[in-house]
Amino acid sequence: MTQTTADHRAGAFWAIIADTFQEARARWLFWGLFGLSTLLILLFLFVLGVDVVQGARVTIEIGPASRDVFDINKFVHQAYSWITIVLYIWGTLLAVFASAGLVPVLLESGRIALLLSKPISRSRLLLGRYVGNVLIIGANHTYLILSIWLILGSKTQIWDPRFLLAIPISVFMFSVLLCVVVLVGVVLESAALSIMAAVALMLISTLLAQLDWSMRLLSSEWSRQLWVALYWIVPKVYDLAGVMKQLVVYDRDVDWFTPVWTSAAFAIATLSSAVLIFRKRDF
Amino acid sequence: MITDYAIETDAIQKIYRSRLRGREIKAVSNLTLRVPRAVKFGLLGANGAGKTTFVKMLLSAVIPSSGSARLFGRDARMPEARRPVGYLPENHRFPTYLTGFGMLDFYGALSGVDSRTRRRRIPELLDRVGLQEWGDVRLKKYSKGMLQRLGLAQALLHNPVLLILDEPTDGVDPVGRRDIRDILNSLTGTGVTIFINSHLLSEVETFCDYVAILKKGELALEGKMANLLAGRGYRILVSGVPERVLDELRGIGAGIARSETGFEVQALTLEEANAIIDRVRAADGLVESMSATTSSLEEVFIRTTSDTPEHVAA
Repeated sequence: MTQTTADHRAGAFWAIIADTFQEARARWLFWGLFGLSTLLILLFLFVLGVDVVQGARVTIEIGPASRDVFDINKFVHQAYSWITIVLYIWGTLLAVFASAGLVPVLLESGRIALLLSKPISRSRLLLGRYVGNVLIIGANHTYLILSIWLILGSKTQIWDPRFLLAIPISVFMFSVLLCVVVLVGVVLESAALSIMAAVALMLISTLLAQLDWSMRLLSSEWSRQLWVALYWIVPKVYDLAGVMKQLVVYDRDVDWFTPVWTSAAFAIATLSSAVLIFRKRDF
Repeated sequence: MITDYAIETDAIQKIYRSRLRGREIKAVSNLTLRVPRAVKFGLLGANGAGKTTFVKMLLSAVIPSSGSARLFGRDARMPEARRPVGYLPENHRFPTYLTGFGMLDFYGALSGVDSRTRRRRIPELLDRVGLQEWGDVRLKKYSKGMLQRLGLAQALLHNPVLLILDEPTDGVDPVGRRDIRDILNSLTGTGVTIFINSHLLSEVETFCDYVAILKKGELALEGKMANLLAGRGYRILVSGVPERVLDELRGIGAGIARSETGFEVQALTLEEANAIIDRVRAADGLVESMSATTSSLEEVFIRTTSDTPEHVAA
């Protein structure tokens, strides 16, 4: 009747993930995100509803210099460029807003006490919630990016799989920022502060990434070193956007590994701190 | 490790420290308690006595400042130690987006019940708590009493051998209370230890066979219910006793009240009762009867938790 310890651990972990999905659905976060994604897809379909070549001509002609020769390949890659960057910034922000409440609500008195009375570790409980959140956003990003790729491909017959790299890159950056959301949620139990922290981190990361500019402006050596140190500590939101553009649009060989491992190190440190604090807290 | 006790704590303590002033508040202080297997144990105490903190320490929701707790001999901090435990918290907040069935399924999975058993057990339990027609309804439609009964079903789903219930009949109407009592009574003799944290003294008195009373975080009284309610002293009915003798008896601390035929004298010990009888007989008074007195749990509770010195009311 009762499971072995290993089966139980796996079963309990999946139960928490499934519960995160159920809660996201019940709170309309799930449907809200998918609704917005669907709206974006429909908008895209509408834009492409006119003849794609004609539509593309119009699009190109809106630009600063009109051209007589229309390059469909260029059009598709420009579309990719816009979509990936919009998705990366807008999608990550939306995902952070949608996920911010899911940890504080778990810690509500009367709910957490019962969860903690179950034979599962606190780490597993928090990580199950985290993974559930990442999977929800991953499903949404996959739905959106894959749909746009299919629409664009079927219209232009240009099937460039590099566009699909936007899925893992966007989900990766969200999963890094979610660690901050979880940490703030565990410490302060506030959805609003979780959002503020994650958005602030995105902005700070973008600012810190302007290394050339800052090195020129900063007068002292120690302030330049501090700037560089901070740059290496925080996740590379801006750098990864650049990497994604280079990879998806221009197919250039870029150093993607450095922003990924430094961001991953930040995520691991932040999530580990959240788990440690969660394990020692009284509820 | 085989042990005779379902719950054992050794000098367990919880101290909260105020961050600003550094002041210490002892919620539970050096509490050593043994709850034997297969008994019905009631934990009592005034508001703020530390009952819920104690229960939460047993379930590792609160981390003890010092001391230790064991469940069936296993360190209570280990998740596996909580596997045989069913728990119904006070002021629970079950996820309202779940249906009754979904809620039991979720907590059942967390308790280590496989999916096939859950599918079989959940309808049985919904039936047992009188919610068989509510399984597909979301919890936001449930009344407080229904949620309480569903919470009890949740605590029973994995056939626990230790049931920890924090105010189990809180917010439940009289019929519901009786139903909950019946369910709990049906567990008698099955080897399940029932640990109830309640402020309803009459319920604890009729249901539990062991009781402990907390006072300001400390264990003030503990024992078998029958022993605690009996042997609180002796009542002697006397008549024809001169007033000066009654004054003498008052002087030695005996409680005296007027009765239909004379006076009722209350003695705390058998020796004191014999001394009173000797004094009454010496003054040519008549001893009409003598009997051991019993107390209600409420009297025991008030005596134990009261800050005034123990006395026998005259």
